[in-house]
Amino acid sequence: MLNYNQSLPEKKLFQDLQISEITPIMKLIIRGKKREFFSAIGKSLNILLPVESNTSTQSQKLSALWLSPDEWMIFSNETSDKNSNYNETEELLIKNISSVNLGAVTDVTDQFVMINLKGDKAYKLFQTGSPFNFNDFQNKKGAVTQTIIAKVDVIIHNQDKNDVNLFVRRSFSEHLFSWMTDAASRL
Amino acid sequence: MSKNLRVKTSKFVDETYRVSFKFNGSRYYGYKGDTLASALLANDIHLVGRSFKYHRPRGIMTSGSEEPNAIVQLHNNSDRTEPNVRATEIEIYEGLEASSQNCWPSVNFDIGGINNLLSPLLPAGFYYKTFMWPASFWEKYEYFIRKSAGLGKSPTTPDPDIYEHEYIHCDVLIVGAGISGIMAAKTAAKNGLKTLLVDEKPNLGGSTVYQNSEHFKINNQNSGSWLEKEINEIKKIDNLDIRIRTSVAAFHGYNFLLARENLTDHLPIEQRKNKTRQKLLKIRAKKVITASGSLERPLIFDNNDRPGILLSSAIKRYADLFGVACGEKNIFLTNNDSAYESAISLIQKGIKVEAIVDNREEIESKLLYEVEKNNIKVFKGFTIVNTNGYKKINKVSLMKLSKDGQKVIGSKINLSCDCLGVSGGWTPAVHLFTQSGGKLKFREEDQVFIPNKYSSEQISIGACNGDLTLEDIIENTPKYLKEFLNIKKTDYDNVEVFSSENKSKRNIWLLPSDKILGKTKSFVDYQNDATAKDIKLALREGFRSIEHVKRYTTTGMGTDQGKLGNMHALGIISETAGTKMGEHGTTTFRPPYTPLTFGTIVGRNVGEYFDVFRKTPMHEWHLKNKAEFENVGQWKRAWYYPKNNENMFEAVQRESKAARESAGILDASTLGKIDIQGTDASEFLNRVYTNAWSKLAVGKCRYGLMLNEDGMVYDDGVTTRLGENHYIMTTTTGGAANVLGKLEDYLQTEWPELDVYLTSVTDHFATISVCGPNSKKIISNVIPDLDLSDENFPHMSFKNAKIGKINCRVMRISFTGEHSYEINIQANYANSVWEKCMEVGKDFNITPYGTETMHLLRAEKGFIIVGQDTDATMTPIDLQMDWIVSKKKYDFIGKRSLYRSDTIKDDRKQLVGLLTDNPNEILEEGAQIVADVNKSPIEMLGHVTSSYYSPNLKKSIALGVVRGGKNMMGKKLIIPMENKTINVTVADPVFLDKENKRLNA
Repeated sequence: MLNYNQSLPEKKLFQDLQISEITPIMKLIIRGKKREFFSAIGKSLNILLPVESNTSTQSQKLSALWLSPDEWMIFSNETSDKNSNYNETEELLIKNISSVNLGAVTDVTDQFVMINLKGDKAYKLFQTGSPFNFNDFQNKKGAVTQTIIAKVDVIIHNQDKNDVNLFVRRSFSEHLFSWMTDAASRL
Repeated sequence: MSKNLRVKTSKFVDETYRVSFKFNGSRYYGYKGDTLASALLANDIHLVGRSFKYHRPRGIMTSGSEEPNAIVQLHNNSDRTEPNVRATEIEIYEGLEASSQNCWPSVNFDIGGINNLLSPLLPAGFYYKTFMWPASFWEKYEYFIRKSAGLGKSPTTPDPDIYEHEYIHCDVLIVGAGISGIMAAKTAAKNGLKTLLVDEKPNLGGSTVYQNSEHFKINNQNSGSWLEKEINEIKKIDNLDIRIRTSVAAFHGYNFLLARENLTDHLPIEQRKNKTRQKLLKIRAKKVITASGSLERPLIFDNNDRPGILLSSAIKRYADLFGVACGEKNIFLTNNDSAYESAISLIQKGIKVEAIVDNREEIESKLLYEVEKNNIKVFKGFTIVNTNGYKKINKVSLMKLSKDGQKVIGSKINLSCDCLGVSGGWTPAVHLFTQSGGKLKFREEDQVFIPNKYSSEQISIGACNGDLTLEDIIENTPKYLKEFLNIKKTDYDNVEVFSSENKSKRNIWLLPSDKILGKTKSFVDYQNDATAKDIKLALREGFRSIEHVKRYTTTGMGTDQGKLGNMHALGIISETAGTKMGEHGTTTFRPPYTPLTFGTIVGRNVGEYFDVFRKTPMHEWHLKNKAEFENVGQWKRAWYYPKNNENMFEAVQRESKAARESAGILDASTLGKIDIQGTDASEFLNRVYTNAWSKLAVGKCRYGLMLNEDGMVYDDGVTTRLGENHYIMTTTTGGAANVLGKLEDYLQTEWPELDVYLTSVTDHFATISVCGPNSKKIISNVIPDLDLSDENFPHMSFKNAKIGKINCRVMRISFTGEHSYEINIQANYANSVWEKCMEVGKDFNITPYGTETMHLLRAEKGFIIVGQDTDATMTPIDLQMDWIVSKKKYDFIGKRSLYRSDTIKDDRKQLVGLLTDNPNEILEEGAQIVADVNKSPIEMLGHVTSSYYSPNLKKSIALGVVRGGKNMMGKKLIIPMENKTINVTVADPVFLDKENKRLNA
């Protein structure tokens, strides 16, 4: 039995802001251009990939974030079992997408750490380290952006009002978490 | 003698809250709301410093950020010390300690004052003509010059405060909360625009808010009361963000501005803990409205710099806002109506005004009549020709001006006083406008530069736009706002205004004197001690451009950037040289508007946040096991694991031996990993690597070399074929991001027709490398179900495996030349697998090793490290890697460049091995390699790129690059060091196990 070591075990609670890592969350990066790619995704996962830039879509089980004209991140809306890394969704898409040459499917479950921020101070926190204009973003449910916070690349997803997901590469996550919780302590 | 210089209660200062502070070691008292300057003035202290060059006694001159003289050192000799703080800005708090600068032993008795006597020897630019002889004395001169340079003292201990940045995006930014700024803020915000209003002062309302005179009315109320009501209203508006104590430092392109928000500088030190001291606001505004006001001009006459000489508007502000009299016997010198406003304020507060000296002849002004009504003599058409009082002004001498204003006539009149207010008119504060690229025009009537052409979505309103009277502001501002904000009406469209001010002005840049110019000290730049004489000297010496005159005389180059005196300098230049002000314009305005602390600029990027650090999933384990770390790009990598007080050399020797004798384990997670999928994946690899990839079987690994288009080696790594159309490529740690970027760039711009997709999985997989003769036994205990026989699992192949229930990949790749396995496992399970390897490997003395040992082991095998043995100028042929360059492939990146006349030369630097004659002598990396030390000049043939003592070979080994090295096998070369010469022999770069037998051991 292998032990599971997430990158950020500590949950941080501030006034009007809660920051914590959600894990294990299955994540995939899928890439493709052809029309058949899109329909195969739709049929396999019951989700329509967002085609408008910087938006997202959701099904009951999964969320899909637009990252570029031919690149999306699909992640699970629920945590999975720590004791196994069998990725059912990946297997399904390998069968229906990559093995029939419609596009690429890559497991990135631990490539990114998913940090969830709850509370109305999340965007104020981002504004201490990110030059991105969140004025419209914070009111648009489902908005996605790729920007930097304190020199670290991040993907930010407006899940719902006062509920934001932030994806950061695992190797940067400890530094970013430390920086964000430090900034949050003075908000 | 204690004077009571506090006058009628002021509502801006809290007289129930007494604050004690220290100045030059003595304790004084003020009130909450006082600045250091107002508190000192209330205590009858004018002398606050000594000027830069001549060490002349200087006093407080203004009440704002344009202050040139009253700059002090705060908290000297503590970790909070700060030099050059303007006493007119710093708000006093309990426990504040300030001291004068640029004087010794004290401001009252300063040895440097001797410079004043030596002043004929120290005109502008004197240092360009001195300190040259004898040349050998320069270092002695330099010592003293350094000591006398600068004003305040830098801190010597780390800054204890916290600084932050904040990014703000708004619809409208309004700079300045004076009357025009307030009008703009209310208008913008009430029209639904997200508005940010900033002001450098702690209260809103500029100078209008304390205006308490019947002579200036808006809608039949005192302009001050009217504005106060507006301010109370805007404080309630939701989408209006108001920041006080916030000074805009820079106005960059496309409406990007920097502002510094002061949060704790006005609080006692105990109350500052864990709070942010200052914030740098990084503002991107769709529209900018600059309402930065204007600065009053002093006047230029002999000895115009004594303590007790202030701007007349400052005297008014100290009286009206702070309730402080600057003197008990006040005189004003003016060329316009403003001084009368100040005089009336003093009269209202019962402060004595002796006289007003007005450059203008007879004028019709209601303000003037009011002053005369109070029995105050007004000298019309007069000027001041001299002042007396070394440490505090006590007398002024006046004479009548000739009709043309060029000379003085008649006899001198002496008046005693203890305070002189000067008013030379107003200079619109166009600094920010010009920083943003705006172009100015010159207005002749009152000799001011005002905005003419805007460079972005911005306007200037109020005084900074040349609207210098209340009437102009009320009339013009609503018009500008409506047009700029695209609205039909404002709350100010029908406001009634009444003002007694007469706009007339008699502008004489350099007031005439009864003495010749050479015998006067008429200061233009107070901070750098530049006089009118200096400016004329510069022109006589042939300098014409205003930029040259500025630098030669240092006018405008102090921390105040010449806010008070630049216009006079320009005026004197244009009069003397006969040029037009409008033609030569102004010198370049540069940010910051007022000095910024380093802390503010850096923000939170200090200490552990100075730079970003990337960590592997096993980082905690390395820490716990006392690893020393080295930085590789942004990563922290374990460098070596010292045991029992080993130094690095000892640890590396032990680790290297253990890896070859039994087993070693290395964290290789930092190497870049790129997942490649698509029907054109093989074709893609063929194009980016120098070798051939089409025939690599599924399940096999191959080493690849990547070149840049110039044919130089750029990156390398092993790539594994996971499936028909599926590869995983590894790159170097430092090159990973660049390689991915470059490859993606090629796919998007050069080869969009290729069906290939790249995805980074560098962080998804951790890589645990186990090597050594016992590696197979260890891996078989960690992954018992995997058949590790050479037939099933040969070197340079890969297998999918499972550890417990966790899927992973295992590759047989070796960078050490030992039998070796790399487990690629999902990061969150990696630490557990690493610990399992350590546990299982205990019986085999499994030894964790770091990057230093890794470098040594690969060097024993002659493997290059890109960036260590290469430097972007080595081709594969130079590296003796001809075998990896495919002769059959049609094309790959860099192929063409390998056939340039330069790259096919024989005598290029080539990679060789080096063995020292003395096996215990270890070469220094970077050492030069030569053939003949007797030739002069000595010809360098190359240098040492990697060097180690090999415990496995029991001798020193090194790799180096040598011109024509390929043909020098066995040749003796020399490494000349500082204190000795080392003999080496050129050898095969593969020092150990050339037949690669150990791979399958």
